[in-house]
Amino acid sequence: MKAENDDLLKEFTPEQIAELDGIIERHKGEPGALIPVLEEAQMALGYLPVPVQKRVAGGLNLPLSRVYGVVTFYSFFTMTPRGKHTCRICLGTACYVRGGKKIAETLEKELGIKEGETTEDRMFTYESVRCLGACGLAPVVVMNEDVHGRLKAMKIKEMLSEYN
Amino acid sequence: MKVFRSHLLLCGGTGCHATGSLEVKKALLAELDKRGLSDEIKVVETGCNGFCAMGPIMVVYPEGIIYMLIKPEDIPELVEEHLIKGRLLERLLYKEPVTEEVIPTMQEIPFFAHQELRVLRNRGLIDPEKIDEYIARDGYAGMAKALTEMTPEEIVKTVLDSGLRGRGGAGFPAGLKWRFAAGSKGDVKYVLCNADEGDPGAFMDRSVLEADPHAVLEGMVIAARAIGSHYGYIYCRAEYPLAIQRLNIAIDQAKEYGLLGENILDTGFDFDLEVYQGAGAFVCGEETALMTSIEGRRGMPRPRPPFPAISGLWQKPSILNNVETLANIGQIILNGSEWYASIGTERSKGTKVFALTGDVNNVGLVEVPMGTTLGTIVYDIGGGIPKGKKFKAVQLGGPSGGMLPVEHLNAGVDYETVAELGAIMGSGGMIAMNEDMCPVDMARFFMDFCQDESCGKCTPCREGTKRMLEILTNICEGRGQEGDLDLLEDMAGIIKDSALCGLGQTAPNPVLSTIRYFRDEYEAHIKDKRCPAAVCTALFESPCQHTCPVEMDIPSYIALVQAERFEDAYKLLLRTNPFPAVCGRVCDHKCQSKCRRETLDEPIAIKFLKRFITDNASRPGVDAVPVTRKEKIAVIGAGPAGLTVARDLAIRGYKVVVFEELPEAGGMLRYGIPAYRLPRNILAGEIDDIRTLGVEIRCNTRVGRDIPFEKVNEEFDYVYLASGAHKSQRMGVEGEDMDGVFGGVEFLRDFNINEEAWLNGEKTLGSRVSVIGGGNSAIDAARCAVRLGADVTILYRRLRQDMPAAEEEIQAAEHEGIKIEYLVAPTNIAGENGKVSGITCQKMELGDFDRSGRKRPVAIEGSEFTLSVDAVIAAIGQTPDVSFVPEDSGVSINKWSCFDLADGSKSQTTDARFFAGGDAVTGPDTVIEAIAAGHQAAQDIDQTIRDKNGELPYEAPPEEKIDIPLMIEEETEERPQARMPELDALSRKNNLTEVELGFSKEEAIKEAIRCLRCDVEI
Amino acid sequence: MAKIKIEDLKKIKDKVKAETSLRAGERRVKVTVHMGTCGIASGAREVLDTLISEIEEAGVTDVVATTSGCMGLCSREPEITVEIMEQEPIIYEYMDTNKMRQVFRRHILNGEVQTPFVLAKGAERTK
Repeated sequence: MKAENDDLLKEFTPEQIAELDGIIERHKGEPGALIPVLEEAQMALGYLPVPVQKRVAGGLNLPLSRVYGVVTFYSFFTMTPRGKHTCRICLGTACYVRGGKKIAETLEKELGIKEGETTEDRMFTYESVRCLGACGLAPVVVMNEDVHGRLKAMKIKEMLSEYN
Repeated sequence: MKVFRSHLLLCGGTGCHATGSLEVKKALLAELDKRGLSDEIKVVETGCNGFCAMGPIMVVYPEGIIYMLIKPEDIPELVEEHLIKGRLLERLLYKEPVTEEVIPTMQEIPFFAHQELRVLRNRGLIDPEKIDEYIARDGYAGMAKALTEMTPEEIVKTVLDSGLRGRGGAGFPAGLKWRFAAGSKGDVKYVLCNADEGDPGAFMDRSVLEADPHAVLEGMVIAARAIGSHYGYIYCRAEYPLAIQRLNIAIDQAKEYGLLGENILDTGFDFDLEVYQGAGAFVCGEETALMTSIEGRRGMPRPRPPFPAISGLWQKPSILNNVETLANIGQIILNGSEWYASIGTERSKGTKVFALTGDVNNVGLVEVPMGTTLGTIVYDIGGGIPKGKKFKAVQLGGPSGGMLPVEHLNAGVDYETVAELGAIMGSGGMIAMNEDMCPVDMARFFMDFCQDESCGKCTPCREGTKRMLEILTNICEGRGQEGDLDLLEDMAGIIKDSALCGLGQTAPNPVLSTIRYFRDEYEAHIKDKRCPAAVCTALFESPCQHTCPVEMDIPSYIALVQAERFEDAYKLLLRTNPFPAVCGRVCDHKCQSKCRRETLDEPIAIKFLKRFITDNASRPGVDAVPVTRKEKIAVIGAGPAGLTVARDLAIRGYKVVVFEELPEAGGMLRYGIPAYRLPRNILAGEIDDIRTLGVEIRCNTRVGRDIPFEKVNEEFDYVYLASGAHKSQRMGVEGEDMDGVFGGVEFLRDFNINEEAWLNGEKTLGSRVSVIGGGNSAIDAARCAVRLGADVTILYRRLRQDMPAAEEEIQAAEHEGIKIEYLVAPTNIAGENGKVSGITCQKMELGDFDRSGRKRPVAIEGSEFTLSVDAVIAAIGQTPDVSFVPEDSGVSINKWSCFDLADGSKSQTTDARFFAGGDAVTGPDTVIEAIAAGHQAAQDIDQTIRDKNGELPYEAPPEEKIDIPLMIEEETEERPQARMPELDALSRKNNLTEVELGFSKEEAIKEAIRCLRCDVEI
Repeated sequence: MAKIKIEDLKKIKDKVKAETSLRAGERRVKVTVHMGTCGIASGAREVLDTLISEIEEAGVTDVVATTSGCMGLCSREPEITVEIMEQEPIIYEYMDTNKMRQVFRRHILNGEVQTPFVLAKGAERTK
């Protein structure tokens, strides 16, 4: 227990840990609680490294393997810290046929990272998503919560420069 | 670039100058400066707005607000109010004269007119966050009826009788699912709503949840009552935050009203539910995987049976319906099963909501009766394909579905038809794709999706999709092999049969569907390493070069123009194309249709830049090539195909003789295309180079008339047949053989041979001319007739967008005053004394789609009308005249009077000593295709000879090295294509002066700078 | 809010009809901003904000701003519907804050339909 707490303290503040414990406490005993707990935990902590998973497993009385299995199965969960800004490119079919591929190539080039990675300065996390359902605006990139629609590859640099 | 927040367009027309616009401008600039706004607001002086009586006029953009009768003393107030405070200065506002402007009603807009709203009946009408507004639209009335007036059995029967099938994908009858669950024993049962809309391109469920969440809740309560359930979940994907938010609001409100929870509407029935947020896994859209996920595990499917109706969530009887299905239920209960089943097809009842996206003008949600044709959805509702591109296919059913290509536009979309055509209805994502879609790349895209989303539980899906993806990736990247298609089809069959759940079973669908409809494109990737749609970038450097039939090195010569190295550019042109000056004028420039610059603004003017080079650099000299080979080659027909073969073979040391029936060489370039588009000296210059190489061209020599076919056969070792397509198709109407009725190519040939006689009036068409047809020949004929002073009308049986003629030619014709009547076709030509005097036409309306994706014209009975005319030119199509080839020659000729090619060859006929190409093989086609055919044939003839002699293949002498500069604009600004300067329309009468004047050096360099240099990797 | 009974559904329906019908003095104009994901992504929220501040600034009390889901024609978002008493509804397309201001001042207050921004008039039929 002590070692576990130390691991957590390496990455999170005591307040954050208390929040995590609160989330676990609230859902304890509910059937199917694991995924909602992890969703809320990620909202609170930003990401779900193994120490967090251990805490959740202990709290919900589940084997760690089960927690780890769920975290790695669903694309929503991440085990690594994220950048200040999240840049999500939609690679749904509608965006793809309207030039999303070219936009993705340009983003990779501009950010210097591949999909799923975070820039070294932790400014940007770059991910692709399947379909945001904003097909009317294809191709679409979502920066944090802002939707940038009908994007052109040449405008990417300009778009990124708005986030710093 | 400086960004201004506002532009002030001040009219600088004479009228406004007269009323004092200059003083206004001065005052405006001074005021902006005073207020420190000069960097934010730009003043632009424009031409006359036409409202001179109201001048001086100023338009404020971006608002587009017009102020009028402005005086210098108004300026401070105007700046203060509008530009600083953002308020309109009412007293100076321009008031539109009161006119009855015609605003269309919703029913007059095809996007809305063809829709039938049931699921979406509340769209745009209610506030989704106010339960009262839903109730006011008869919301919860169906639920009230179900809870008070119906037994659970009656509810199930009503849903069953309505014919409602699950809208999530498989189309299983909803009522049947309910019946099974209702029959299951147990106190605890679950009603689940699948709102995990994972198909890329599908967003109808999201839209329903956002716009009308109570409809889903109502459907769930009714379902719960029907099967005896008291708890439910809505499984919604995390990517839909707004939907989740509105659902939760709706649930809270419904609970407050007692429409959810205990003792609903005081009926004693209990049902509660919660929203369960998915965590991003496509497979969770599968029903058993979804249930596993709610249980808090990895969302993997379970084998069935047991079916969820017996053992579902937490091993209890459960039903799962998707959002759209549930949103139908309240209405079905309220209005009855007959009402619901009154629309749709035999086995697919009701409406279907489609998310129409991709390459259509109107992107959006579309609800239509089952059985509505694909064409109605894409063309009427969707408004067709943007930018004049051609429709290629829709993808229906997302990564589990398939394509419905252009030849199936008449198919009525319902579950059965769609399945027969190799797609699935799926949840209704319909993605339209234009000619720039590569089916192989799309199949790879979908397989990548499925492979990535495979949960890994069963081997066929986990390993099979991976292996199929590998093969598809190989094909896309030029490593495809013979046999790949068979392998893909075999594997697809196995995965379909053996995968555990729907995801795996349907994963091969896009591959099978694209192979079914686009096998030729797969083969082009595998055999020729070509991507016809210019999408698979591993196969080429730049899309323009890849699309050019002779693969001209476009980015390089454009770079040389930029660097002002025009002589080098000319050399580069000649490496692949013996007719660059011709092509710079009359090519159909397929390259430009794939230019990537188009995604920013407009394609590069590649054709015009090519012409600029040939206009502005001296033509590189040509030396005679000594004959070094013993084989002699005859070429029949001195058009672009024949001359290209002759040139290529002469360069390789062969003796080549070209036989030409007409007085001069050039074929259609000389006798089909008028001189105002292609001046004679330009063409002659390029042909002279070919003569200089040593090619002998014998004009006025028709084979079979002036020299016997047998003689050619004996004297030459190999013969190339390139006689073109110089015979007009007949219209098949009465009076066609009268005086004054011409075939299109026959008229053009006569005109081009006897220009003098036509222009000085020795030959005449008369004053009123009708031209029939919509291709380039029809436009050429019409534009010639206009130059002879005639009043010309083109009669075309379809619509403008269907015309095969080049857009710029159609525009030029309109510009020159030619009238074009659409949707008319001739039925009869009347005459007096054997001379034409009138043409009777019938009006047409558009019916079904034909295989080319255009609507078929259908005659309207009793709509005949007659035009008085002095001449009729019928340019409705051309066929080759191959009568010079004796029937027993061994060269087979097909039903279109074209030469057949031997199996597997691109130029050899069925007699190994005869090769053929150009229009005589393909029917009427373009110059550049003829040149490409010529190159191909020269290569094939030479190879055949060397194979026979046991020689090594030909090796071209090393080319002079031309280094290509790389200069790219630092900041790419939107800038449209440079326009070609033209002779004004009035100066075009009675002469054949070239209409297009060519770019100046400045224009050309500026245009060349627009090139994005797709060929270079930086 | 109390739990309702079946007969209350009808009462709510009548109440909403009475409250939302347009009438002189109180509810002369109803403006609906269509706010689905597509609409919001293309700026519907800014349009709504502008509308509300225009109403405040103008000090009018008989113009009601409301929101609704998507109209279905995503490629022309943001869209709004302006209903003025005794007139056919007008649907505007491709709205932005400037156009909203113009529509408010010219159409809603002055009765001049801003034709260049209009998509259509009337309402969709439902059967």
